[in-house]
Amino acid sequence: MIFRKRTAAILVAACAQVPASAASLQVSVLDGSNHPVANAVVYAETDGAQRQPTQLRGATIEQKERKFSPLVTVIQTGSDILFPNNDTVQHHVYSFSRPKAFELKLYSGLPSKPIVFDKAGTVVVGCNIHDEMVAYIQVVDTPYFAKTNAAGQATIGNLPAGTYQLRTWHYDLPHGAPIPKQKLVVDATDSAVSIRIPLKAGAVVH
Amino acid sequence: MRLRSLESRIVILFLLLILAIQLAGFFAIRASIERNARASINDELVIGERVFQRLLKQNAQTLTQGARLLASDYGFRQAIASDDVATISSALANHGARIGATLAVLIGLDHSIRVAADKTPAPGLKNAILPLVDSAEQTGGAAGIAIINNHAFQIVVLPVKAPITIGWVAMAFPIDNRLAADMRELSSLQVSILTHRSGGNWEVGVSTLNDAEVRSLIERLQESSNENPLPTMQRLEDKEFSSRIFSLVQDSGQTSIVVLQRSIREAIAPYRQLQLTLLLLTALGILLAGVGSILTARRITGPLRQLANSARQLGTGDYYHGTIKIQQSDEIGELSNAFDSMRESIANRELEIRRLAYWDSLTNLPNRAQFVTLLDNALQHARKYRLSCHVLMMDLDRFKHVNDVLGHSFGDALLVQVAQRLTALNLKSGDQVARLGGDEFAILLPDSRIEEVQAIAARILESLETPISLDDQTVDLGASIGIAGFPAHGSDAESLLSRVEVAMYAAKSSGNSAMVYDPTMDKSSQESLSLLSELRRAIDNNEFRIYVQPKIVLETGKVTGVEALIRWMHPKRGLIQPDDFIPFAEKTGFIRALTRWMLEQAAALCHTWKAQGLQLKISVNLSTRDLLDQDLPAKFVEILLQHQVASSSFCLEITESSIMDDPIRAQQTLERLYAMGCELSIDDFGTGYSSLAYLKRLPVHELKIDKSFVMNMEHEADDATIVRSTIDLGHNMGLRVVAEGIESQAAWELLARMGCDRGQGYFISKPMPAEQFLDWLENWTARSPAQYESMI
Repeated sequence: MIFRKRTAAILVAACAQVPASAASLQVSVLDGSNHPVANAVVYAETDGAQRQPTQLRGATIEQKERKFSPLVTVIQTGSDILFPNNDTVQHHVYSFSRPKAFELKLYSGLPSKPIVFDKAGTVVVGCNIHDEMVAYIQVVDTPYFAKTNAAGQATIGNLPAGTYQLRTWHYDLPHGAPIPKQKLVVDATDSAVSIRIPLKAGAVVH
Repeated sequence: MRLRSLESRIVILFLLLILAIQLAGFFAIRASIERNARASINDELVIGERVFQRLLKQNAQTLTQGARLLASDYGFRQAIASDDVATISSALANHGARIGATLAVLIGLDHSIRVAADKTPAPGLKNAILPLVDSAEQTGGAAGIAIINNHAFQIVVLPVKAPITIGWVAMAFPIDNRLAADMRELSSLQVSILTHRSGGNWEVGVSTLNDAEVRSLIERLQESSNENPLPTMQRLEDKEFSSRIFSLVQDSGQTSIVVLQRSIREAIAPYRQLQLTLLLLTALGILLAGVGSILTARRITGPLRQLANSARQLGTGDYYHGTIKIQQSDEIGELSNAFDSMRESIANRELEIRRLAYWDSLTNLPNRAQFVTLLDNALQHARKYRLSCHVLMMDLDRFKHVNDVLGHSFGDALLVQVAQRLTALNLKSGDQVARLGGDEFAILLPDSRIEEVQAIAARILESLETPISLDDQTVDLGASIGIAGFPAHGSDAESLLSRVEVAMYAAKSSGNSAMVYDPTMDKSSQESLSLLSELRRAIDNNEFRIYVQPKIVLETGKVTGVEALIRWMHPKRGLIQPDDFIPFAEKTGFIRALTRWMLEQAAALCHTWKAQGLQLKISVNLSTRDLLDQDLPAKFVEILLQHQVASSSFCLEITESSIMDDPIRAQQTLERLYAMGCELSIDDFGTGYSSLAYLKRLPVHELKIDKSFVMNMEHEADDATIVRSTIDLGHNMGLRVVAEGIESQAAWELLARMGCDRGQGYFISKPMPAEQFLDWLENWTARSPAQYESMI
């Protein structure tokens, strides 16, 4: 709930601040068999020295019913994430991922402070006492990112016109494969793009 | 126990049978045991393989659990995710060692070995592990077997999840002696795991066998190949094994096999107990059978031996001590019963035989054998008590005649009657009548005086005077009795018996009815005995002479013939008269030889005289024996032919009595002689038994009046009457009548007047040697016929 509100707020904020030459990009992600891919992270990065504006927004990954939700979270580098344990049992949250290795030893309720993710990359979070619990955090350097819904659709709003590399990340990408990227030229008008990404065989779309 | 005896044969037979059966059973069961053992070994090996596979699987599960535990260790996962090779390597080594893995490697998501616990992963490891990785991806963990450095390892591959799979950890556990020992404990099988590279040598990884056996096994494996696989039975170091081989893993030219082996001896060991028991039972069975058969054999042969002993005893004649004491109710018992009843029957039969031997069955008197025994006893008694003992022997006169005429059954009945009369004599007790055989009887008078015995003899004769009548036949029997006694005439049974017999014969021949033995009888009997041989010798030595007495026609005095008479010129005793030897010859049958000799001589004479122109009839006397001799006519014919004399020259003289002895046969002989053409004459007519009925049937030509009548007729009117009657009788019957014993002229004249045809006698001539006859005849004929006429 809070998450939704915050996302909504962020989106509105983003829209309010948008310069005249920003538009929204509708991205549709499909897999190799043209099935829509949910929980795919799409993000547009400029290639060049031009720094991305930093629009830090915090996120929350709660633990409930022995599950992390949301499964996939995307944040800009430097953002923090709160991990409230709203479950009936305690959890020992950890991650060994290189961008951010952290550990929240067995707790319940709200941890004292959120975790700051200051390196880009994929962070896989798990619970030490519940092997099935997993959450993915994709830390990206750009503020222009979105996550596909169940229909495989995602919208990146307020995207200034320019040339971008649109990257698409999914946790079921084959290991070692580069993150599919696509050159993207955005103008002021809204556009849509469809991206096909290869997924591991047998991957199940959560 | 002799080897050929029934007992030993029964025992041996039994034993052999039992032995055969037991051994057959023993070997059959043993073979079956062996077969069973081998079959069960086979089953054991099959099951053993399954057990081994299960053990491996369990082991793998255990290892997997252990490894899983490790792989989910937080610290371990942290180390793995750290990307620090050294850390990872040490974590692998550490955690691997915890659970006894000799090898531990981390495999990256790209399926390459990122880190190994020791720095040089074995060459085969990757190949062994990678297939497992694929299956581990799917099933969350996999286990398998790999050959690394020629050793077999169980390999376990598990994902390392943090929380998603960040890699796989693979751990290898050597298949070591523990597994083999477990296997051996579970299954009692020997386990050996061997590996080899194709073309290389077999190496043993693990084995429960001892070193020598392992070496031996390797040798065998070396020898084997695909075309010549290892046989299922091997001999390793003196132990026989049954084996089963299966492959553990095959992997790029390397093969690891498991050889499960069962020691045959071990497998059979439990059966050994059974076999031993069986052997014991067999031995026991044989022993029992042996004992049982010996007992049975004894049971059979024991009684048989007893019976044999009894038989021997019976053989000695002891019928009363050989009783059998066998009381069985089987065949042996039957045999012994039969034996016993046989013993009784034999005893009874012997009694019967004795009875027959010593008793005359016809008269129920003791027989000769018994009599001799009684006599012996009586003599012993007499000797002891100085008594005198007598024997009386009796012979029935002319018994044979009666037997022949009236039949043997009549004769037997007669003897019975005689026996009864004898036993009815009122003898003393101790006196015993016996029948010695035939018509001879004897009486033993053990304590008697001679006068008593003679009185008894008289009583016997008296009793026999009464004729015996049986079946309407009346028979008049006479007897001759001899008496002898101890100590007067002999001191032992034999001599007494022979002497009494002599006395009896003396009585018989002398006509005295009873005579007491006298030594002189011996002489005459001895003489009689020697007489026969002398007679025989006499014939051979031509001691006999033929004398002739002329017969004349009373009316004319003409000589018509001669009577041939035999005389004996004994070298020592001189001339012996016929009366001295003819009766003896007749008794002994020697008369036939004499008659034959006479006929020959007479025929020769006839021949001589015929040659001289004399036609004289020659008369020869025939005896009873001659009449009964079937061969006589033939002999006569032979003699006639031999001397070329006609039968008509012969006249044969037969006495009345001799005819009456056997009238029928006499008649037959006479008829034959008559048919031959010779004359027949009845001699001594009027002195013997005769039957006119027979006489009239006989083919005779003349009657000769006995000289006893002729000689007395001059003085005795009765005799004269008899002579006259005889002459008339004869003439009436158509017979010529001859008078014998003319001793005077008066007699001649008287006879001539009576009508007698012929005559002979001393007055005419005494019998003279045949050689003298011709001279005499000349002389007689020289007398003028007128002289004779004057005599008439």
